[in-house]
Amino acid sequence: MNNLKTANAFVFNAEIDTNYLNSLYGEDFVYLQEVFETVLSDYQSLTDNIEYSYSSGNLVALRSAVHKIKPVFGFVGLTAVQLQCQQFEQICGTAGSPDSLAGDFETLKNKIFQSKQIIEEEKKKLEVFNSNCS
Amino acid sequence: MSLSCIIVEDLQVAANYLKNCCEKSGQVEVRGHFSNVTDALSFLNSNTVDLIFLDVEMPGANGFELLDQIAFSPKVILTTAKSEYAYNAFQYNVSDYLMKPFTFQRFMEALGKIQPSKETISTNSAADHIYIKTDGKLIRLNNDAILYIESMGDYVKFVTVDNKKYITHNTIKNLEEKVSKDHFLKVHRSYIVNLHKIDDMRENLLFIKGNEIPVSKANKADVFRRLNIV
Repeated sequence: MNNLKTANAFVFNAEIDTNYLNSLYGEDFVYLQEVFETVLSDYQSLTDNIEYSYSSGNLVALRSAVHKIKPVFGFVGLTAVQLQCQQFEQICGTAGSPDSLAGDFETLKNKIFQSKQIIEEEKKKLEVFNSNCS
Repeated sequence: MSLSCIIVEDLQVAANYLKNCCEKSGQVEVRGHFSNVTDALSFLNSNTVDLIFLDVEMPGANGFELLDQIAFSPKVILTTAKSEYAYNAFQYNVSDYLMKPFTFQRFMEALGKIQPSKETISTNSAADHIYIKTDGKLIRLNNDAILYIESMGDYVKFVTVDNKKYITHNTIKNLEEKVSKDHFLKVHRSYIVNLHKIDDMRENLLFIKGNEIPVSKANKADVFRRLNIV
């Protein structure tokens, strides 16, 4: 990973579990910026896959698609969203039809959309922060 | 210790993180990253590695199908933690699971489980017998007395003509190099069979004294070459 920067000044969005991020990356904010960029570059295809699986009524594929995106939230410290994905996976495993999980799906979909905005904002903040530190 | 590895992972952020962990450890050389089984298999058909970091759920074929098709037995660390894979993990001699994302400390713990193969066998490959360590003693097994050897995770089971079963700490990979090539052949990542004891073969199964032994796609050509087919 890249050189560490002592940067107590960086303040993450309140939704982000900073202790968790610290356990993964320490204070390597340059690497962290790369993580946020990589996550955003894959985000659309991951969410498209979820949407498509749901609209085609394929619960197995939907569960798999949510399973796939789940760790992404962990990598950016959105541990509550990661947990929400985990719970949705379990619901998928017991749901009889896509209709029976429509409400849960809508909630998760909104959360995933909001999360993208947070990740985009944090990435921008990290860019500024890292450019000021260099 | 210096291990060569590949990463089979379709989530880019996870693959990058794993690469970083490998570099940081100073113990693992990453020889490639593949986002699907087909590309990984293509690499492994002409290269060997000590270790595969393997995601199971990927587009197209899943990770276990890769393990079915390679002709050697690397150590495997799964980068998934679904309990429904537990049985397969046992069959495929998986060393550890890493639930993404994982800390560097957890990564190092998993790496610590990658041990060199245990030297519980005393033999030279031309001998007509081997000695195995089991129950605190060395037991001599003549080659002709062994029907087949089966992987059980970090252990192997020797099944003999008198229907005895001896379990010892070892791996199929290690044994493959040590047992007599005249008698024995690896037919699957979890099985070495005594070629002289095969009763018949149907599709991808060998039958030895009523025991069904699977033959992997990767080893099937070797089996045909070694059988005295007229």
